[in-house]
Amino acid sequence: MRGLTYKYEDGTMALRDVDLSIERGEKVAIVGPNGAGKSTLLNLVAGFRMPFSGRVLIEGRELNHENADELRSEVGLVFQDPEDQIFMPTVEEDVAFGPRNLGLDDIDARVTRALRSAGIEGLAKRRPHRLSYGMKKRVAIAGTLAMDPKMLLMDEPTSGLDPKARSELIKLLRDMDKTMLIATHDLEAAAEIVDRAVVLNVSVVMEGTMSDIVMSKKVLQDAGLELPPVSKLFDAMGRMGYPVDSLPVSMDQAVAELTRVIDREAKRTSELRGPGNPRSDRKSRQSDARGNGD
Amino acid sequence: MIITHVRGHSALRERDEDLDTSWFSQLDPRVKIVGVFSFVVVAALLTRPEGVTIALTAAIALAAASRVSAKRLIVAYAAAFPFVALASASIFLFSGWDRGLTMLARTSSCVIPLLVLALGTETFDLFSGLRRLKVPGMITTLLMLTFRFLLLLSDELERMKVSRQARGFRGGRSLLDRYGLRVLSFTAGMVLVRASARADRVYEGLRCKAFRKDMIPWRTSSVRSRDMAFLACLAIVAGVLAAVQYEVLF
Repeated sequence: MRGLTYKYEDGTMALRDVDLSIERGEKVAIVGPNGAGKSTLLNLVAGFRMPFSGRVLIEGRELNHENADELRSEVGLVFQDPEDQIFMPTVEEDVAFGPRNLGLDDIDARVTRALRSAGIEGLAKRRPHRLSYGMKKRVAIAGTLAMDPKMLLMDEPTSGLDPKARSELIKLLRDMDKTMLIATHDLEAAAEIVDRAVVLNVSVVMEGTMSDIVMSKKVLQDAGLELPPVSKLFDAMGRMGYPVDSLPVSMDQAVAELTRVIDREAKRTSELRGPGNPRSDRKSRQSDARGNGD
Repeated sequence: MIITHVRGHSALRERDEDLDTSWFSQLDPRVKIVGVFSFVVVAALLTRPEGVTIALTAAIALAAASRVSAKRLIVAYAAAFPFVALASASIFLFSGWDRGLTMLARTSSCVIPLLVLALGTETFDLFSGLRRLKVPGMITTLLMLTFRFLLLLSDELERMKVSRQARGFRGGRSLLDRYGLRVLSFTAGMVLVRASARADRVYEGLRCKAFRKDMIPWRTSSVRSRDMAFLACLAIVAGVLAAVQYEVLF
């Protein structure tokens, strides 16, 4: 994307001068508050809207009115609300709908693969409208995967999911070997899935890893984003004087950071308690006692 | 939330309860469409009361044998009855009660098999069957999109109804309740606006899946012996009706 600018009919600026490039195989999150232009950006990449100025290039080809339908099959868009995306009466028919329209061969095998990738092989004969919201999301993802797009665009993939369905979906997306552009305000989920993130608030505010982004409190504050609970916990620990180097965003990162802190402290304590250093040993014990008292 | 959660994670083991497994639902949709429409054409052309009586009996027998839910059939027939009765009443007023009754029976003998066809066949199967019978893609696609839009409309209507009730609205039961009527008119407008916005998104969803203008028929089935038996039965009934109409019988 080069210099993308888009305005709504009422004159509201949705996106201003957005530059973003995504490498093949990379997973990128667009994070930002409601109204930041995340969904609009996905719609522009999917060719549902055309920018006022700027260009969208997919594999070097510029997206325009003429080739939008053709290029759209290379970027699979998964909507925020799966109800809007599921059309056919059974899961397998819905998943087969895209490949059939594209005239692809070996549709049954594609459907089976897509259902397996989305972890819903057992739902093939089910009626989508009878499924839970989380399962419908998976059906929508399977329907997009069956078309074998080069890139997946996902709009708020974790919204409206219960905790178990959310963590299952995060795992599914993390393990999926696809180029992804994920629009979300769920920083914790983004941290577990993506390699890189972009803070968007009409224009690009910051770009980097999720850890870089959560460390930039000013950026988060200006963009109306809130730290994930686990980052808040470490932030509070840092303010209390505990030696926290970075703010973890996901539980995995938190465990790693905590392990690092504990190891370092244990090492430091054992050094202080070394033989022939009774004074430091006493100091260390006092410090331990103070810690227990806390 | 709890129910959704439980259903969500046990969904792999569930089966849809409303899957219709009756013999009628398992017939090839093309055979059902051709058979039922042929019967309807023959029944509509009958003028002799004897023939109409036989057609009505055959229609009721088909309804009974098809194992379509009697309750759903009666409800659907009740919904269609005002239109059936209107046509019969005009004949009754201008040509006498016997002709009015014949008209009522004839119309019913056409409406009942059509309702059996609609209720005993999955809607998308019907569209797919029509498409495979070479009905133009534009027509079947329009029918499917219209059907989807009606589902959206009813979905939005239900949401608005719940939303109204959740905020204590109990009006709209009397034509004199101006406030209630105002709220209902706003609701109607809002339902259309919301359904239209969602319809746009559904259409974008279809375009995401490479949909252009034609719903490609997706279900394949072949005509089997039981389909042929069904067609043969309807052909015999149609033959009997024609014989009665031309006074070869009775």
